[in-house]
Amino acid sequence: MSVGAMKDQWYPVGLISGVTEEGRDSLLLGEPIRIFLDGGTPAVTGEGERPLPVELRYGHVWTCPGTPTRPLFDIPEADQLGRRLVDVGVCRVRCSPLRAVENFLDIAHFPFVHTDILGSEPHTEVTRYEVGIREDVDEVWATKVQFFQPQAAKSAEGGITTDYMYRVCAPTCSVLYKTSPPMPGEWDVIALFVQPLTETLCDVWPWMALYDDDASMTDLIHFQQLIFVQDRSVLENQLPALLPLDPGMEIPTRADLTSVAYRRWLKRNGFTYGAQLVAA
Amino acid sequence: MQTDWTPVALSHDIPVASAAPGRIGDTALAIWRSASGRIAAWSDRCPHRGMRLSHGYVRGERLSCIYHGWSYGEDGGCKRIPAHPDLTPPESIRVPVFACREASGVVWVAEGQPAGAPPDLAGFRGLRSLHIAAATGAIAEVFGGDGPVLRVKLGPVAVIALVQAFGDETMLHLMAPESCDLATLDALSDAAEALRRNIEAEATA
Ligand code: FES
Ligand SMILES: [Fe+2]
Repeated sequence: MSVGAMKDQWYPVGLISGVTEEGRDSLLLGEPIRIFLDGGTPAVTGEGERPLPVELRYGHVWTCPGTPTRPLFDIPEADQLGRRLVDVGVCRVRCSPLRAVENFLDIAHFPFVHTDILGSEPHTEVTRYEVGIREDVDEVWATKVQFFQPQAAKSAEGGITTDYMYRVCAPTCSVLYKTSPPMPGEWDVIALFVQPLTETLCDVWPWMALYDDDASMTDLIHFQQLIFVQDRSVLENQLPALLPLDPGMEIPTRADLTSVAYRRWLKRNGFTYGAQLVAA
Repeated sequence: MQTDWTPVALSHDIPVASAAPGRIGDTALAIWRSASGRIAAWSDRCPHRGMRLSHGYVRGERLSCIYHGWSYGEDGGCKRIPAHPDLTPPESIRVPVFACREASGVVWVAEGQPAGAPPDLAGFRGLRSLHIAAATGAIAEVFGGDGPVLRVKLGPVAVIALVQAFGDETMLHLMAPESCDLATLDALSDAAEALRRNIEAEATA
């Protein structure tokens, strides 16, 4: 398996707050890396102690095992006053990093996987939404996504129809925007930063920028962890483990348009680490 | 004994309205029983996004996938896509279905068109299935015989061991004489567990 174009992308490798002097060993795209404090500043090295580029953003340490072809993506909401920034921590999943992102882009599973939290029967319909590639930034965007939810967020009481927008800003990173229950007209931001350890193993680092002054930090973290543990039970049981990029293997419907666009975008960019191509 | 049928589970391990994983050759199976008691063995892969159907749930005569709730009828055809409640799913969305029969408390599955009925094991009933982390050769040695249907002794009792060989793993479906009382069945179950530990210990020794 060649790592291809994914080598030159940015990946999260840990919480900034979690880096220590003695450091920690990890993997990135199958290669060993080390994250440690160098004179008080987080640093990352690859094989043979080769220093790798480092960015410190959105609560996480970011690195690139190759030569970055573009700067780390921007999440402007991270700097908006009044938002609480939540480092959720890590969740290890035995699945393709690309399958983890695709699941994050999916709303149709809410009533079945996050029953009575993010969705519930009989409110299962996925209405038409819009998907496209924003060519200027080369990102996948889904807009006008709507879903009925019994308890959309920690701060939500009773059922509401929630508006969503999704964006894929790097092959293993996605950000979703959803109606903020305490601040109508504003969007809560929830991001899924995925560290590809190997093609079938990843560390997932969720991160949030919320308008929520009431819930305790612990409750916010627990809520997000509960959701992700439910997702993990699906992610570790999909066959094949690698994400099929060529049509034929799986059957998308209109509700899967974001997934279809994500797969096409991956293929077009040669982002195939964790993917399965028919002509292998 | 020559047969086209493979023993994949014991009937009592697949209660009404439930699904469980199994295997035939290299193919993962979802073995499930409908509300009316009908048994079936399907490919363990939802055609939508590949989720294992053995993690799904049964309502009435349909098996539904736990990921997005697509539900499939008796023939393996998709009957409902909850994200599009008004859509009639096209005929082409279908889960591969295997020939499946129950006899003497055993669920038998076959690939293609099996000739004849599954072996008749009258006088016996399912005891328990054991997953053994050892090649089938190690088991043949302990039992002193090989083949898919072994008549062997477990302690003083003559039992039947149905063997599924998977390289360095083995599934054993054990059957006890119908006449055994509960105490004997308990003792047999413990003996089976001890047997598994022995075989695994020998195999790694
Ligand atoms: S994977 Fe089975 S319904 Fe989507
Ligand atoms: Fe989910």
